[in-house]
Amino acid sequence: MISISLNGKKIEVPSDKTVLEISRAEGLNIPTMCHLKGHDLFPSCMVCVVKENNKGRLIPSCTTLVQNGMEIITDDEEVLEARKTGLELLLSDHVGDCEAPCQTNCPAYMDIPLMNRLLAEGKPQEALEIVKRDIALPAVLGRICPAPCERACHRRSVDSAVSICKLKQFAADHDLDQKEQFMPDMAESNGRKIAIIGTGPAGLSAAYFLLQKGYACELFDKNPVPGGALKYAIPNKKLPKDVLDKEILVIARMGAIFKLKKEVGKDDLEALKKKFDALVIATGEDNAVFTGLDKRSNAFVADRNTHQTKDPEVFAIGSAVKPGRVAIRAVAHGKQVALSVDQYLNNKPVIGERRIFNSRFGRLLNDELMEYMLEADPVKRHETEGSKGFSYKEMQKEAERCMHCDCRKQHNCKLRDYSDEYGAIQKRFFPRERKSVRKIFKHEPIVYEPEKCIKCGICVRITSEHKEKLGLTFIGKGFDVEVAVPFDNETVNALEKTAILCAENCPTGALAKK
Amino acid sequence: MAELNIEQVIKEKGREKKAVIPILQVIQNKFNYLPEDILRRVCETTDITPDLIMGVASFYTQFRLEPAGDHIIKVCTGTACHVKGAELVYDAYRRSLKLPDGKNTDEKGKYSLEKVNCLGCCTLAPVVQIDDTTYGHVGIEDVDQVIGSFEHDLNNPSGKRGSTGDNIDGREGEIRIGLGSCCVASGSEEVKKSLEKAVVSNGLNVNMKKVGCVGMCHQVPLLEMIPSGKEPVLYAHVKPGDVNAIIKKHFKPRGLWDRLKSSLFELAEDIQTDHNWDGVERFELNVREKQVSSFLGRQVPIATEHRGVLDPLDVEEYQQSGGFRAMKICLNELDPPEVVQRVIDSGIRGRGGGGFSTGEKWRIVKDQVSERKFIICNGDEGDPGAFMDRMILESYPYRVIEGMVIGAYATGATEGYFYIRAEYPLAVQRIREALKICRERGYLGKNILGTDFSFDIKIFEGAGAFICGEETALIASIEGNRGFPKLRPPFPAEKGLWGHPTLVNNTETFAQIAYIIKNGVFEFTNHGTQLSKGTKVFALAGKVNRGGLIEVPMGISIREIVEDIGGGVSGDRELKAVQIGGPSGGCIPHWLMDTPVDFESLEEVGAMMGSGGLVVLDDTDCMVDIARYFLSFTQSESCGKCTFCRVGTKRMLDILNKICTGKGSPKDIEELENLSGWTKKGSLCGLGKTAPNPVLSTLRYFRDEYEAHIHGKCPTGKCRDMVKYHIEETCIGCTKCAQNCPVDAIAFTPYEVHSIDQEKCIKCDGCRQVCPEDCVTVS
Repeated sequence: MISISLNGKKIEVPSDKTVLEISRAEGLNIPTMCHLKGHDLFPSCMVCVVKENNKGRLIPSCTTLVQNGMEIITDDEEVLEARKTGLELLLSDHVGDCEAPCQTNCPAYMDIPLMNRLLAEGKPQEALEIVKRDIALPAVLGRICPAPCERACHRRSVDSAVSICKLKQFAADHDLDQKEQFMPDMAESNGRKIAIIGTGPAGLSAAYFLLQKGYACELFDKNPVPGGALKYAIPNKKLPKDVLDKEILVIARMGAIFKLKKEVGKDDLEALKKKFDALVIATGEDNAVFTGLDKRSNAFVADRNTHQTKDPEVFAIGSAVKPGRVAIRAVAHGKQVALSVDQYLNNKPVIGERRIFNSRFGRLLNDELMEYMLEADPVKRHETEGSKGFSYKEMQKEAERCMHCDCRKQHNCKLRDYSDEYGAIQKRFFPRERKSVRKIFKHEPIVYEPEKCIKCGICVRITSEHKEKLGLTFIGKGFDVEVAVPFDNETVNALEKTAILCAENCPTGALAKK
Repeated sequence: MAELNIEQVIKEKGREKKAVIPILQVIQNKFNYLPEDILRRVCETTDITPDLIMGVASFYTQFRLEPAGDHIIKVCTGTACHVKGAELVYDAYRRSLKLPDGKNTDEKGKYSLEKVNCLGCCTLAPVVQIDDTTYGHVGIEDVDQVIGSFEHDLNNPSGKRGSTGDNIDGREGEIRIGLGSCCVASGSEEVKKSLEKAVVSNGLNVNMKKVGCVGMCHQVPLLEMIPSGKEPVLYAHVKPGDVNAIIKKHFKPRGLWDRLKSSLFELAEDIQTDHNWDGVERFELNVREKQVSSFLGRQVPIATEHRGVLDPLDVEEYQQSGGFRAMKICLNELDPPEVVQRVIDSGIRGRGGGGFSTGEKWRIVKDQVSERKFIICNGDEGDPGAFMDRMILESYPYRVIEGMVIGAYATGATEGYFYIRAEYPLAVQRIREALKICRERGYLGKNILGTDFSFDIKIFEGAGAFICGEETALIASIEGNRGFPKLRPPFPAEKGLWGHPTLVNNTETFAQIAYIIKNGVFEFTNHGTQLSKGTKVFALAGKVNRGGLIEVPMGISIREIVEDIGGGVSGDRELKAVQIGGPSGGCIPHWLMDTPVDFESLEEVGAMMGSGGLVVLDDTDCMVDIARYFLSFTQSESCGKCTFCRVGTKRMLDILNKICTGKGSPKDIEELENLSGWTKKGSLCGLGKTAPNPVLSTLRYFRDEYEAHIHGKCPTGKCRDMVKYHIEETCIGCTKCAQNCPVDAIAFTPYEVHSIDQEKCIKCDGCRQVCPEDCVTVS
């Protein structure tokens, strides 16, 4: 046994362990990406760096053995900055989108590619559940949304965007046609009450999300029926009455209490604050004014992200803060404010919807479009008239046009998680001319995207240990090194036994299950 | 298509993993590249797997996976060649061979063009090699002539003449000719042929001796006349046509008939060649003459003892001059701990640049308990601008072997390796021959000198990877792996080749060991400083009058080296800086010329001893370009294993490229500095840790040049993307520039003001140099 100092604390440790093993045994959080337990050490990513203070240098903790008298610091400013810089260097050579551009462009960040995949597989109900994670009124939006997602769709550069809006409409309508509509999971009531002023898309959405978190919601509206601008400003032909009513009914069944024909007056906020734990103003473009709240050119002044006004108990969303009647934005605000209110009432820092790190590389070049098309049906976009939706067959065909621009491992990618944790900024070192994205499908059942690879060598080690006939190896050296199949052959599958294993252990989305 | 018996090769080299590089080298030698089907066959019949063979074949630059032309033209891009315009020479070859973008082989498949790392002939910069022939001083106007000369020799192979160096009694004297690689490249082979012819035709009875490097590379070809009983006279810049007259001056042909014959012969030659020649005196170099004595005076030959005197492969001569005495002392009189102690006491530190106490390293290896121990001579001299180890291996092979035997004895090593880089074929040849002779004499092998100490050495040829100069990467390549460095500790001294204790020392370090034992510790410690004892060999090159290989005591100042030994900056220009330590080192600005050359002092000023490359830079050199040059070298040689080196050096280079093309911003300088710091801190091995040094040191001393580039100006005009060549109105229309332009960017308009087509201009500076009226400006 030898003695070392770990973050100032003296401990006795066995001499044949690495700094990483000791640190983790002490409960410290050390990130690793190229480390594969039980395999040869190959210090490459350097994200596990810690400081050897007695020598004044940074060392890779995964490979360095403890030595007598070592003073290890795992989390000071220099170490954190080193990890962040290392991640930024890796990100500068990482060409891949975590989220597809359609999802990033959606104000509610709906997981569109996943919805498309489920629809293509003939699972509309499951698709709907994905939709309803982020969108409160999908059937409504499927008819009136301006579809910013479609504007960002990469398929546009090939022929036309995927008809995302109509696909969503199908999923939503399919659910509304069922005997019982989908009900999201609800948390137990937490005893708190929120007053929502306005039953337009913003207010309805806020209620939908707050109810899920266990808050009781009372919605006030001066009108006799709920719906706000959806009801009163959109022609029936575009948005049939029954569609809107059915969606509102779902929210009512979740426990929302509607106080209709009840106008909240200019000076009523103080009274409301005594009865409710928080207030959400969703009065739309109604010229409503409230004492105690600032208004600038007909818009309430509230934080752009958290929607909190200068009065911490009062939040404002939708067209009431950003005039324009963009339903999807109002609906997105509803989701966000639910998070803010929840943070506020639990004494947490109010930050609204936190967007996790998202890798983005921009427009696809021509040959890249061809790569992406390998997974998509080349058929042209199906158009329907007006608000008419798709048939089942039409829906499936359209869903198969999706090019799957998202990363299949966006929810379990170490590079993404650590970049998020350390606040890495992708464009810091990103070159002006980037590498071209490739998708290699020959290693069934996984897909290999070399431009996401961080050259950690985990797959090389795995294929070698399992004695694959060909396996994967490093080809070339230095910055241009690539992981590839020796004697690269277009058709041969080099990962007969280890494909899934490699995909599971790959720390990024370079190797992923299809 | 050439044939190769693969089974035979495998039988020779072995079927284990570690045979992969030697096997690939044989294949590459035969076909000039590695055909895939042959590689597959190797995998089928050995333990080498496809992932291994391709991983290795694609790592080392010696190996080609695509067929190349019949002949390979290699343009050296070492430091000295770079500052003398290697990039322009490379471009000139691309034009001459009409190579389309992205392709490196001409249409007929006759020539392939490559840029190569330093060939080690720096004083002849720019250097070009075609197959095995080296050409020096190749300017852009010479590119076609070089190809012509090569093709001429191809079609007219001259047979090798036997040497007339017999040791006959009553000989009249000795003639020595330097035949190191540089000498050969500058034409010494032709001089040697003339010499042989002249000796024969004059009927002389002289000992003709090939000697190793004299170090005065700026004077090659060198010939030394030593008539019996007389003072030796040295001749420099000898041309083949001069030889006969030089010989006649010192050696008289014997009989009357021979004298007549020789005069007639001369007459015939003169008539035939119309040779107008104005006398011999001009080329004579008296050792007492100032320039020679200045060059040689301050030097202290230890690694290069008896320079210019010994025939590299003459073992008798080596012995007579004191060779192998140290080895005998050790094996017969000292025990291993005593040997180690002497090395420790001498204070000698690693001459490869690391500067670690050699004796300490020996002690660590000695103290390891293991059945097998290895000793490796690191001859993978990869620093561009460094050619010391090449010279030592070519000229003093026995000395290095002796050092290794002593080291093996002291540490208990049982097996040794010479690791010599691929680009030094002559060194490999000499060492191979020397090893053979040593074995014949019982200096290697079982029971050396009749003691119970047995030890032998193999040769491993590097396959082209700068990183393999790093000891753990070097060991990895001998094991048959990609040259990935390993984290230290554990150090190779404890756990090295195949896990056994391994002593890795630089060539020059081994070359100094015998002297320490033979002459005693105090002789060695007499030279040098408190912490840096002894001497160091440097390769002085660049913008200096007298370039060459020098061995000087540690502690000598840079000023003394450049001015006294080197004769000052060439061409009447001003000294700007001296780059020391190669791509791991830094620049020492002209106002710090009194800095002593020792490990600590150099580190203090932001440079590094390195392996010994010393490049002199003048006021026409752009320091930002120099930084970029070194960084692009290390960046391209990165093994790619760790993030900070693989991506860090690349992003640093991106920033430098931006700056050198006029697209930089002030933020870029900040980010460059920042990233340099992180690359230093976060890299796994010496390559990444020292790659930022040239950048950091030029930023420290020449920040104004960086800022000038940010503001759109390259002060020296060297950064081609930032300058425009322009002919002023004062042009007299002499058309010299138009005639000279290699890309026809100047229209031929006699008596009118000429103008440069900016689209075509390659900024070669040719027009400005030939203009008699000085009307070409650079902005």
